[in-house]
Amino acid sequence: MDYLQYIPALPLLGFFILFCSQGRLARWPSAIVGVGSIGLAALFTLIVGMDYYAQGAEPTTLFLWTWMQVGDFEPAIRLYLDGLSLVMTGVITGVGFLIHMYASGYMWDDEEKGYARFFAYMNLFVFAMLMLVLGDNLLTLFLGWEGVGLCSYLLIGFYHRDPANGYAARKAFVVTRVGDTFMALGLFLLYRELGTIEIQEVLTLAQQNWPDGGSTVTLVGLLLLGGAVGKSAQVPLQTWLPDAMAGPTPVSALIHAATMVTAGVYLIARMHDIYLLSPDAQLWVAVVGLVTLFIASFTALCQTDIKRILAFSTMSQIGYMFLALGVGAWSAAIFHLMTHAFFKALLFLASGSVILALHHEQNIFKMGGLWKKLPIPFASMLIGSIALVALPGTSGFFSKDAIMLTAAENSKAGMVFWSGAALAAFMTALYTTRMMMITFFGQTKTEPHDHSKLNMSAPLLILCALSILGGWFGLPAVQSVLPDGGLPEINHFEPVAIVTMVIPFFGILVGWLVYGPKAINVDGIRNSQLGVNLTKFWASGWGFDWLYDRLICRPFMYLAEINKGDVIDAIFRFVAAIARGMHALMTLTQTGRLRWYAANMAVGLLLLLVIVVLEVV
Amino acid sequence: MNVIALISFLLAAGVLAWVSERMHRNAPRWVSLVAFVVATIWTGLEWVGAPAGTEEYARQFVSWIPRFGINVHLVVDGLSMMLLVLTAFLGVIAVVSSWNETEHSQGFFQFNILWVMAGVVGVFSAYDLFLFFFFWEVMLIPMYFLIAIWGHEKKAYAAMKFFLFTQISGLLMLLAILALVYANYASSGVITFDYEQLLGANIDSTISFWLMLGFFVAFITKLPSFPVHTWLPDAHTQAPTAGSVILAGILLKTGGYGVIRFAVGLFPDASRDFATWAMLLGMISILYGGYMAYSQTDFKRLVAYSSIAHMGFILLGVYAFNEAGMQGAIVTMIAHGFSTAALFMMAGAIQQRLHTREMSNMGGLWIRAPRMGVMTLFFVVASVGMPGLGNFVGEFLALLGAFKVHVPITIGAAVGIVVAAVYGLSLMQRAFQGVPNPDVSSMEDFGIREMSVMVLMMVGLIFIGIYPQPVLDMSVPLLEQLGVIE
Repeated sequence: MDYLQYIPALPLLGFFILFCSQGRLARWPSAIVGVGSIGLAALFTLIVGMDYYAQGAEPTTLFLWTWMQVGDFEPAIRLYLDGLSLVMTGVITGVGFLIHMYASGYMWDDEEKGYARFFAYMNLFVFAMLMLVLGDNLLTLFLGWEGVGLCSYLLIGFYHRDPANGYAARKAFVVTRVGDTFMALGLFLLYRELGTIEIQEVLTLAQQNWPDGGSTVTLVGLLLLGGAVGKSAQVPLQTWLPDAMAGPTPVSALIHAATMVTAGVYLIARMHDIYLLSPDAQLWVAVVGLVTLFIASFTALCQTDIKRILAFSTMSQIGYMFLALGVGAWSAAIFHLMTHAFFKALLFLASGSVILALHHEQNIFKMGGLWKKLPIPFASMLIGSIALVALPGTSGFFSKDAIMLTAAENSKAGMVFWSGAALAAFMTALYTTRMMMITFFGQTKTEPHDHSKLNMSAPLLILCALSILGGWFGLPAVQSVLPDGGLPEINHFEPVAIVTMVIPFFGILVGWLVYGPKAINVDGIRNSQLGVNLTKFWASGWGFDWLYDRLICRPFMYLAEINKGDVIDAIFRFVAAIARGMHALMTLTQTGRLRWYAANMAVGLLLLLVIVVLEVV
Repeated sequence: MNVIALISFLLAAGVLAWVSERMHRNAPRWVSLVAFVVATIWTGLEWVGAPAGTEEYARQFVSWIPRFGINVHLVVDGLSMMLLVLTAFLGVIAVVSSWNETEHSQGFFQFNILWVMAGVVGVFSAYDLFLFFFFWEVMLIPMYFLIAIWGHEKKAYAAMKFFLFTQISGLLMLLAILALVYANYASSGVITFDYEQLLGANIDSTISFWLMLGFFVAFITKLPSFPVHTWLPDAHTQAPTAGSVILAGILLKTGGYGVIRFAVGLFPDASRDFATWAMLLGMISILYGGYMAYSQTDFKRLVAYSSIAHMGFILLGVYAFNEAGMQGAIVTMIAHGFSTAALFMMAGAIQQRLHTREMSNMGGLWIRAPRMGVMTLFFVVASVGMPGLGNFVGEFLALLGAFKVHVPITIGAAVGIVVAAVYGLSLMQRAFQGVPNPDVSSMEDFGIREMSVMVLMMVGLIFIGIYPQPVLDMSVPLLEQLGVIE
C-alpha cells in the first residue's frame, strides 16, 4: 500500500521531465522516460495489487493533502484502492505500457521535437486517467475527468499543421465538455443535498436519505449519466469519437479505445448505488447503451476508413457496457471493459502497423491482399477480430455473453434488450468480416513496407495472448465492490445462450458470402434507391452531425458573425451621437456674424418679455 | 506594514523614473522594474512573515480634514493583502512585457505605470470613503495617459471612452458617498467618511437600496459586467501591453474588490435583496462575454471579452452570499489576474513581432515559436477552467455556492464553461495551429526575460490550483465580518 502514490506520480514525473526538456531531448531518452515511467507504474501496480490481496483485499485510502477547505466542503487529494480501482489501474498501466512501447516504435520517424511532446502528452494522460480511477471523491475524479479530456484534445490535434485535426480535437473537447457540465451540475446537486462529495459517503448517505428513490436521486443519476455519455461517446454525445481518429493510432488505441472512453462506464459502476435507488435512471443507462450499440454497429458497416470502422466498433462495444450497467450486470460491464481494452487496443495497434506499412493509407479499399505480406499485423488483427465478434473461447465471448444473457433476463424489457444486442452482435460479425476481407484478402492495391520492429511486435503478441486468454479467469476482483457480487452463472445449453453463441458465426457467414473470395452479387440491393440512401444515412452516423450542425453550430456562428461589433455598444454610441449632434447644433449658432447675434438677442428678449407678461396676467 | 510608505515609494519611484530619462534613455524601465520587484518582495514578506491567523496586516491613521471627518485611514486585511501582492507582482509583469515596446518618452510611460499602481494600492487599502474616491481617481488619470499616448491606431477614441465610462460611474459613486455621509449625519449627527463608522450607519432601507445601487453601478462598470462592459474591449485593444496587463490584471479587480468591500459591506441587507439580479447580471456576463469572445478576430479583443465572462463569476459568487461563492469570487480575482495578464502579454509580444493583432494574419505560429505556443496553450487551458489550475478553483466554488441559492442561474452560468472551451480553443487554433502563415517567415521566440515571468505566473496558477488553502484562509475573517460565515 505504501507504493500507491507512485502509480500516478511516475507518469506525472515523466510528463514533467519531457515538458521541461522543451524538445531538446533526443528520441532515445524521450522514449526511455516516456515508456519507462508507465512501465514502472505498471510494476508498482503489480506490487500494490499483490499487497492488496496479501492484506485481505480490504479497501484502503491514502491521504495526500487537503485540496481545499471551504466551510464543510473539504475535498482531499486522497487515493482509494479497492477491487474496482485496482482493475482499472491494472488496465490503464498494463495496456497503457504496451501501447506506449508500441508507440515508441510507431512515432520514431516523426520529427524529433514532436517525439518528446507526444510522450509528454501521453504520460500526462495516464496520470490524469489514474487520478480519475483512484480519486476517492468526485472532485478528484473530476480533475482526472477533465485532465483526460485535455490530453485527448492535445493528442487528437497532435499534428496541428492540418486544420482538420485541430477541428477534430476541438470538437472532441467541446462535445465532451457538454457532458462534463452535466456532471458538474450533478456534483453541485449532490453536495447541496448530501453535504459531501466523498464517493463512499455519498453512496451511504444516498441509501439513507433516499431509500425509496425519488426525483432527486433520479436527477443525480441522469446528470452523472450525462457526463458518462459525453466521455464514453454514447448517444447523443457520440459524434466526436469518429473524428478523434485524427490522432496518431497509438492514441486511438490508448485513449479512444482502451481507457478514456470507458471512463463513463467506470463512473456509473462506481456510483452504482445511485442507480440502484433510481430504476428510472438505470433504465436510461440501458436505453442509451442499446441505442448506441445498435446505431454504431450499422455505421461501422458503411465506413471505408479502417480507423473509423474501429471507432464505431468501440462506440458500439461501450454501448454493450452501458447496457450491462443498465440491466444490473455490473461486473460484466467492467469485465467487458477489460477484455475490450485488450482486443480493441490490439485491433488499433495492428491497424496502425498496417497504416504505417502503407504510408498512412487508411482507406480499406486501397488495401487488400496484405495477409501474406504483413503476417504479424494480420495475425493480430485476426485474433482481435475473433475476440471482438466474441467467438467462443475468446475473451470477448465471456464478457459479451454475460452481458447479453443478463440483459435477456431483465424484467422490464429483456427481450428488447437481448434482440437489439443480438442484432448488433450479428452486425459486429458482419462489419468485422468485411473489414478483414477487404483489408487482407483479394488483390493487393498498395505495396506495403513492413516497418515492424520488436518494440512494436512484442506488444501485439502480448495483446494477442490477452485477447484470447484474458477472459478465462473471470473478474473476481470486483466481487466485493459491485452489487451483483461477480459475474453471473451462465448455463451455455439454454436456448438463448445457444442462439447468442451462434449469432457471430452467422454474421461471419453472411460476411463471407458478401465480401469473401466467391462473393455473391448484392449490387442489386446495394445500388437500389433504398440501399444507396440507407448506406449514406448510416455512413454519416445516422445524421447526428448534420442535425447538430444545423441546430447548434450554424446558429451560433451566425449570431457570432452578425454581432461582432457588440450590439450593446450601439446604445452608448447612440448616446455619444446625440451629444455630438447637440454639439453640432450649438456650433451652428456661433457664426461670428453680428447681425445674427443681434437678431438672436432681440428674439430672446422678446420671448422673455412675453413670458413675463403672461406670468403677470 | 506601512502602506503610506509603500504608496509614497511608488509615487517617488514614478518621479525618479521620469527624471532618470535624462541620464539614459533606458534608465526609467530599470527604475520601474526595481521598484516593482522591491514592492513585490516587500508585500510578499509582509504576507508570509505575518504570524498565522493574522487578520489585519496594517492599520494607519492620519488626520486629514477633521472638519468633515476625512482621514487618511488605511487598513490592510487578508483580501487587501493578497491584492497588494498581486498588484506589485503584476507591476513587474507589466514592465517586463512592455520592455522594448515604447520608443518615445519612456520616463513618462514608467511614471504613469508606477502612479496607477500607487493609486491601486490606495484603493485596496483605503478605509475612508473620501480617500477611496481620491485613489480611485488617482489610478484613472495615468491609465488614461497610458492608453491615449502609447496606444495603438484608435487610441484617442478608446482612451476617451475609458475615461468617460469610469468618470461617469465614478460620479455616481461620489454622489452615493456624499448621500451616505449625509444620511449617516442625519441619523447620528456625526459627519464622517470613515468606513468602519459608516458600517454601522442606521439608514432607511429604501435609501440604502439606492445608495447601494450607486456603488454597485460604479463597480460593475469597472469590473465590468454586462451591459456596461463596452469600454473594455476598446481600451484593451488599444492600450500598450503594460496597460492591458494592468487593466486586466489589477484594475478590473478594483471593481470586484469594491463590490465586496463597499456595495456588499456597507449595505448587506440591500445587497441581499438585490442578489438575484446581480447573479443574473453575472450569468449574462459569462454567456455574453464568452459568445462575444468567440466572434472576435482580434487576439486582444478576444481576450478582453473573455475577461468579461470571467468577471461574471465574481458577481455570481459574491451575490450567492455563502462561503463557497464568496471564496470562489475571490480566488477568481487572483487567478484571473495571472491568466489574463499572461495572455495579454502574449498578445503584446505577438503584436510587437508581427505588427498585427488580427488572428487571420497569424496561424501556425507554434512552428515558428514553440515556447510561445506552449505558454499560450497553458494559459488558455487555465482560463478554460482546467482542474488543477487556479481559475478552476475559483469558478467551481462560485458555481457551487451559486447552485445552493439559485439553480436556473447556475445552470446558465455553467453553460459558460462550454462556451469558454469554444472560444479558448479557437484562439489557440487560429493563432498557433493550422497551416503556418506564409507571410510570417520567422518569429522570434520568447527569451529568458519573457519566459521567466511566464513561468512565475504558471507556478502561481498551479499552486492556487492544487493548494488554494493559503488564499482561501486569507479571506475568512472578511467573510465572518460580512456575515457569510457564522
